[in-house]
Amino acid sequence: MAGNAAVMEDGSLISRLDRKLLQLEQVFALLSGLAVFSLMLLAVVSVGGRNAFNAPLPGYVDWIEQAMPLIAFMGIAYVQRDGSHIRMDIVVGALRGRALWLFELISVLLMLVLMLALVWGSWSHFEGSFDFAAPLWSRDSSIDISLPIWPAKLLAPVAFSVLCLRLMLQAWGYGRALVQGLDTPPAVPLIQDAAKQAAAEAEQLVGHDNDALNGQG
Amino acid sequence: MEPIEIGLWVTGFLLVLVVLGMRVAFAAGLAGLVGLVWIFWAKFGYDPARFGKALTIAVKTAGQVPHSKVSSQALSLIPTFILIGYLAYYAGLTRALFEAAKRWIAWLPGGLAVATVFATAGFAAVSGASVATSAVFARIAIPEMLAVGYNKRFAAGVVAAAGTLASLIPPSAILVIYAIIVEQDVGKLLLAGFIPGAFSAVVYVLLIIGIAVIFKNVGPPVTGFTWRQRFESLPAALPIVFVVVIIICFVYNPFGGDAWGTPTEGGALGAFVVFCMALWRGMRWSEFKSALLETAKLTVMIFTIIWGVLIYVRFLGFADLPGAFSDWITSLAMSPMVILICILLAYAVLGMFMDAIGMLLLTLPVVYPAVMALNGGESVAAVDSAFGMSGPMCAIWFGILVVKMAEFCLITPPIGLNCFVVAGVRDDLSVQDVFHGVMPFFIADGVTIALLVAFPAIVLYLPSLA
Amino acid sequence: ATEWNVSVWGKRRAFTEHVEKLAELVSAKTNGEFTMNISYGGLSKNKENLDGISIGAFEMAQFCAGYHRDKNPSITVLELPFLGVNTLAEEVAVSHAVYAHEAAQKDLARWNAKLLMTSPMPQYNIVGTGAPRDKVSEFKDMRVRATGGIGKAFAAVGAVPTSVTATEAYNAMESGVVDTVAFAQHAHLSYGTINRAEWWTANLNPGTVNCPVVVNTDAYDALSDSERAALDSSVGEAIDHCLAIYGALLEKWDSVLEEKGVTKVMMSEDELAGFRATAADPIREQWIKDMEAQGIPGQELYDLVMKTLNDARAGNYAAPVTARG
Ligand code: NA
Ligand code: NA
Repeated sequence: MAGNAAVMEDGSLISRLDRKLLQLEQVFALLSGLAVFSLMLLAVVSVGGRNAFNAPLPGYVDWIEQAMPLIAFMGIAYVQRDGSHIRMDIVVGALRGRALWLFELISVLLMLVLMLALVWGSWSHFEGSFDFAAPLWSRDSSIDISLPIWPAKLLAPVAFSVLCLRLMLQAWGYGRALVQGLDTPPAVPLIQDAAKQAAAEAEQLVGHDNDALNGQG
Repeated sequence: MEPIEIGLWVTGFLLVLVVLGMRVAFAAGLAGLVGLVWIFWAKFGYDPARFGKALTIAVKTAGQVPHSKVSSQALSLIPTFILIGYLAYYAGLTRALFEAAKRWIAWLPGGLAVATVFATAGFAAVSGASVATSAVFARIAIPEMLAVGYNKRFAAGVVAAAGTLASLIPPSAILVIYAIIVEQDVGKLLLAGFIPGAFSAVVYVLLIIGIAVIFKNVGPPVTGFTWRQRFESLPAALPIVFVVVIIICFVYNPFGGDAWGTPTEGGALGAFVVFCMALWRGMRWSEFKSALLETAKLTVMIFTIIWGVLIYVRFLGFADLPGAFSDWITSLAMSPMVILICILLAYAVLGMFMDAIGMLLLTLPVVYPAVMALNGGESVAAVDSAFGMSGPMCAIWFGILVVKMAEFCLITPPIGLNCFVVAGVRDDLSVQDVFHGVMPFFIADGVTIALLVAFPAIVLYLPSLA
Repeated sequence: ATEWNVSVWGKRRAFTEHVEKLAELVSAKTNGEFTMNISYGGLSKNKENLDGISIGAFEMAQFCAGYHRDKNPSITVLELPFLGVNTLAEEVAVSHAVYAHEAAQKDLARWNAKLLMTSPMPQYNIVGTGAPRDKVSEFKDMRVRATGGIGKAFAAVGAVPTSVTATEAYNAMESGVVDTVAFAQHAHLSYGTINRAEWWTANLNPGTVNCPVVVNTDAYDALSDSERAALDSSVGEAIDHCLAIYGALLEKWDSVLEEKGVTKVMMSEDELAGFRATAADPIREQWIKDMEAQGIPGQELYDLVMKTLNDARAGNYAAPVTARG
């Protein structure tokens, strides 16, 4: 089904670009994680303020709604990099070699078509909320404390553009594998069989668990 | 072509994309976009000169969905529930729980397996995801069971099955997703999962004891813990009780009186408590960073499916397919109960091949209105309804049934993610071994689902109090 | 044949009955040549309805000005606290007068939208738990679920406006996140807040939200003359239908209060005057200042509301049935 897959790395140009892009994707994903963490702090401030000082955080809901796009979009390319977006791989999992690369190439190109359209569409959604002439450049504001919404709306086309870069790179990677008939091409997620994949996932978790236990001595 | 026909064609297109292995979120988004273009162009009478206009409207309509749909307070529960689970590893809560459960109840026939189920249920009360739960307990519980002579397959089956409890017992990411799709009260749904989750755990335990009694060598009891040892194991596990109480009390206050806040606040505060505990236990920045990255990754996977599918759902709104499907279902000359059972069986089949969240997101927009219509509509009173419950109660009941089905699918072949994960942790276990060991639990789940269908009060008792 | 998609939200209720009636009338008048499919949430989220109109995804939609003040600053004049609107008929009169004003039309034209009619909304009032609060001084430190101008009004007298969504209002009240919730009567019923209430302010009337129904300008212009006539001529009747429904609902209200054991709190005229002086004037002045800074004639819009209100009271006001200027 879902799951991590290995991405091969070597000294080729495409692999170097892959790792460059990965750095950017990791920063974006970490931002998303920090935004989750900030949700937690928001709740502490809100509940604490309400109960201790009768001063609830003004616009608590508005702030949450502003943080959500940060959480939901920023890691999208990072997840695509190692092929973790959920899919059914019964059919592709049975393919090998050129046939597999062809399927993956088509699939990635279709995704690219969708994401290019969504960069356009989400940009236009952002534009509707943005107005250089208005106070705070805002033409769309939140319900409670009137926060400008354009920064949150801008996150969608930004994150989607990075995903488009990732998809172009993967299309190149699969195309290259298809033409050259490679076995383990770099810069694209390689399907592991389901059991191996689960082992990789589990190892990751177990690693954490051990660390945690070691951490306490 | 009528919008409904367009709806059916596009739905077929989507299924082909999914089967061919396109990532579900993007397959749904693409199908939705293609459908929107088609519908707007059809409205223009397929005038070639106006195709560009139809395309523009469709792209802009689809482009609204991601921001519009993810900016929701209720959805913020999902990342916080996921974060709680990851932080709980670092706080060492999992092992502490298992140790306590072992010392207290391992003397029963199949006692370590029973302890595993109870510890998993306890962990489920702070973790929102099933697969992660199974992975952790495969590591902690299986070695101990094997050490006292448990059957290998049986031990693996226990862990794989018990992991599914995480999605019924609140907090649960999947219940939140259900609540969002069907626009029902998240708090009440989370509350409703509690008894069925505990009930499932009890059914598992009874099954384990039964097996251990009949087949003596499958799971021998473990005795010899002193009372002192038992009480000593409690302090390390107690924090989890504290977190559970916080989350429950923010959803519904069982001590009488007012709840302490909203579910959103409860989830986030629970995460904060676990975070503080992890800090106290010496969590380092690198661990914290990977907890954040893992949380971000799982969250993004879920949210991408959510908005991708919702683009398709937006198209369905224009094609009015859900309305047509529910008209068709209610016109069938079968009793509503038979139809409901057919729907649940269809989920069992679909779940063999699909991921739980993807399956619910793809099907519920069409199936849910049909089930509500079967019962007599969104605002039907209990006395006039087909299933003997009001509209909102039916929404909760069906939600728990569907989530239990989806969880059941996590342990069924050919693709039972929990079983893969358990086999993955243990080099000495093949996937076939785990599927073999988990088979008795199909019976337990079958019994549980049948009882939930026959006695809706098991599901509806708590939410009807709130 | 012309087929319009109409985007509203929630369930069919008094709030949407004028849209249902409009669709029915238009279809009847054109012998089924001009029909409307009303979708409850299937086509868009309520806060995005104006965006949907703007891109032409659907032809007609309902939204509330307070959902997004920056999208429609001009008509938020109708959400200022303590305008003094007492009846639904007055509410319709002032709304349609503002809709007919050039500034409002220019504002909505940015979204390719044309204001067709309002959605009559009774004045908000608060329900609360605990001892009834019938003095403004008792509002101090009271946690109230109120948004926009009404929230600001309560803040002006020391209350603490707390943000929860309408759907979470009941939970928030139950959990003590808020002490009081401000809604119109029908919303107190449909969101269940009346079930937690021990008292209700009968005459506080701090204001309301304004929820227009708009049409896509291109779609409107593309209508044939007879279709457009059918649409325009049906607005008055649709509104009347809605007023009748609300009327019946409000008549029932006293019995609802009695049945649920809710105390009706009447504030003295002195208390109300004090509240208005503290809250209404500064908020209005700030609003006018903000609008004028953006080049929107805030003072003129406010004066228009006051004049319309006076005329309506004097009985010599012929309400424009449509908002066409
Ligand atoms: Na859980
Ligand atoms: Na399965």
